[in-house]
Amino acid sequence: MAKTLKDLRSVYVVGVGWHRYQPLSDTPYVMLGLPAIRAALADAGIAWTDVESSYIGTGLLGMAAGRAMLKHLGATGRPLVHIENASASGSAAFRHACIEVGAGIADVSLVIGIDKPGVVQRAFTKTGIGNLADDAIVPFTHFALLTNEYAHRHGVAPQDVALVAVKNHRNGALNPHAHRQQARTLEEVLGGRPVSGTLTTLQCCPVGEGAAAVIIASEDAIKRLGIDPARAVRVTASAASSEAAGGQAGADAAITKDTIAEALKQAQVAPKKVDIVELHDAFTIEELHYVEAMGICKPGEAIHLLKEGAFDIGGQCAVSPSGGLIAMGHPIGPTGVGQIGEIALQLRGDAGPRQHKGAKTGLAHMVGLGAVCYVHVLQRP
Amino acid sequence: MSQSALLKPALYAEQGTEKVPDHPALNGGRCACGHVFFPMQTYGCEVCGRHGDALQPVRLSGRGKLVASSTVHMHAARAPAPNAEVKPHEAPFTIGSIALEDGPTVRTVLVGVDEKTLKPGQTMVTTLVPVGTGAKAILDLRFTPAT
Repeated sequence: MAKTLKDLRSVYVVGVGWHRYQPLSDTPYVMLGLPAIRAALADAGIAWTDVESSYIGTGLLGMAAGRAMLKHLGATGRPLVHIENASASGSAAFRHACIEVGAGIADVSLVIGIDKPGVVQRAFTKTGIGNLADDAIVPFTHFALLTNEYAHRHGVAPQDVALVAVKNHRNGALNPHAHRQQARTLEEVLGGRPVSGTLTTLQCCPVGEGAAAVIIASEDAIKRLGIDPARAVRVTASAASSEAAGGQAGADAAITKDTIAEALKQAQVAPKKVDIVELHDAFTIEELHYVEAMGICKPGEAIHLLKEGAFDIGGQCAVSPSGGLIAMGHPIGPTGVGQIGEIALQLRGDAGPRQHKGAKTGLAHMVGLGAVCYVHVLQRP
Repeated sequence: MSQSALLKPALYAEQGTEKVPDHPALNGGRCACGHVFFPMQTYGCEVCGRHGDALQPVRLSGRGKLVASSTVHMHAARAPAPNAEVKPHEAPFTIGSIALEDGPTVRTVLVGVDEKTLKPGQTMVTTLVPVGTGAKAILDLRFTPAT
């Protein structure tokens, strides 16, 4: 029978680092990635020569970005691989690094998510199968349609959905790595430029540039390299999936439901026992869909919990304490890796002003075009 | 209408189905397993994987129920490169998600709608609208509320 990550040897996140997510600049991608990697190595207290393999999550840089960057750390000759999986590129890179370390093929691996905005033609436009008007239906309209459907089904007002953005901008204002670091009132969120349907600009994630790095290690490596075990956060579940036939428009929420359930089963954790969730809130409506899909509450009830402060830092379950995609930003490759870094900081108690006190269990969730879905659970004893 | 050309003849036809004769039909497909899909293709069935002749063309009626709608306020034309003979989409325009009575759900541009009165569940039908920029008459498919 096939195994899960938890059946392999234990895998730990031992170092995290970022280059701030920010609007497109003249900074070459190499100089976004290297500071993030050096920060993660310093955080782990290990040297680059201790790293045995590298996983590079990137969606927009183009072919073979990795070695041209990594060689400036000292070209060790060790294996590296690029992983593209749309928005979930970084999450996929993290999963496969965990599998390698869990399987015992490497003791220490680097996961680096890195991107700069660039024009990459989406392959699904090249299938040779036509469509009625996909050129007029970009992602924000896909999610505006889902917002419209949710609002009608559950009797939710647009200003209620916008409260997700108010919370996440408030969290982002406390995060030095966030693209947007400014708290916003509900009036500011609603008064922004209309984008599509009831979505306004501040309810949509910014896609900029940046980098996020994490170092993962086995128990053997932690002992051998003298890494402080109190700062090591165990990865207790990794689950992944893709859209099944018949999913129609609600595919992201459907695969989220199944994939989170699988990850929580692996980790043997009940949905309400999760202290922190970093989820794919590229658009406000998604946070409502996914906390409901996770089983924290019933369909249509997320708004009530949000209004009660249940998803605030310090609430029942802090949802996207980093600021989420809406405030921390969504530079594609880095996003899923940055979620893991944020959870590691939170579980170590190192998240500073945005610390969710006593956090022991964190869950990272990403979806990507396709659709694909990734979920990881991180825990400390 | 014989002087007009359809922008995407692979996807729809001027003629309706027997059941809904007054509205253009969509060119869908049906698999031997029973799965009905849009648009027609023979690459393979998403449900069972059968391919080739197991997938046969079926005309889907141009009628369905509105699932959701959204008026697009910001729109930048991107790839694929715009066709100079066809008017680009200019914001604001309204997109609808329509569950066809013959099965599949499709999304496209709506015409003749007032966003304030649009209601999920209302009946929508296909219509052809001119989209050419020059003398050549080019028609593209839209959905509009049934009268």
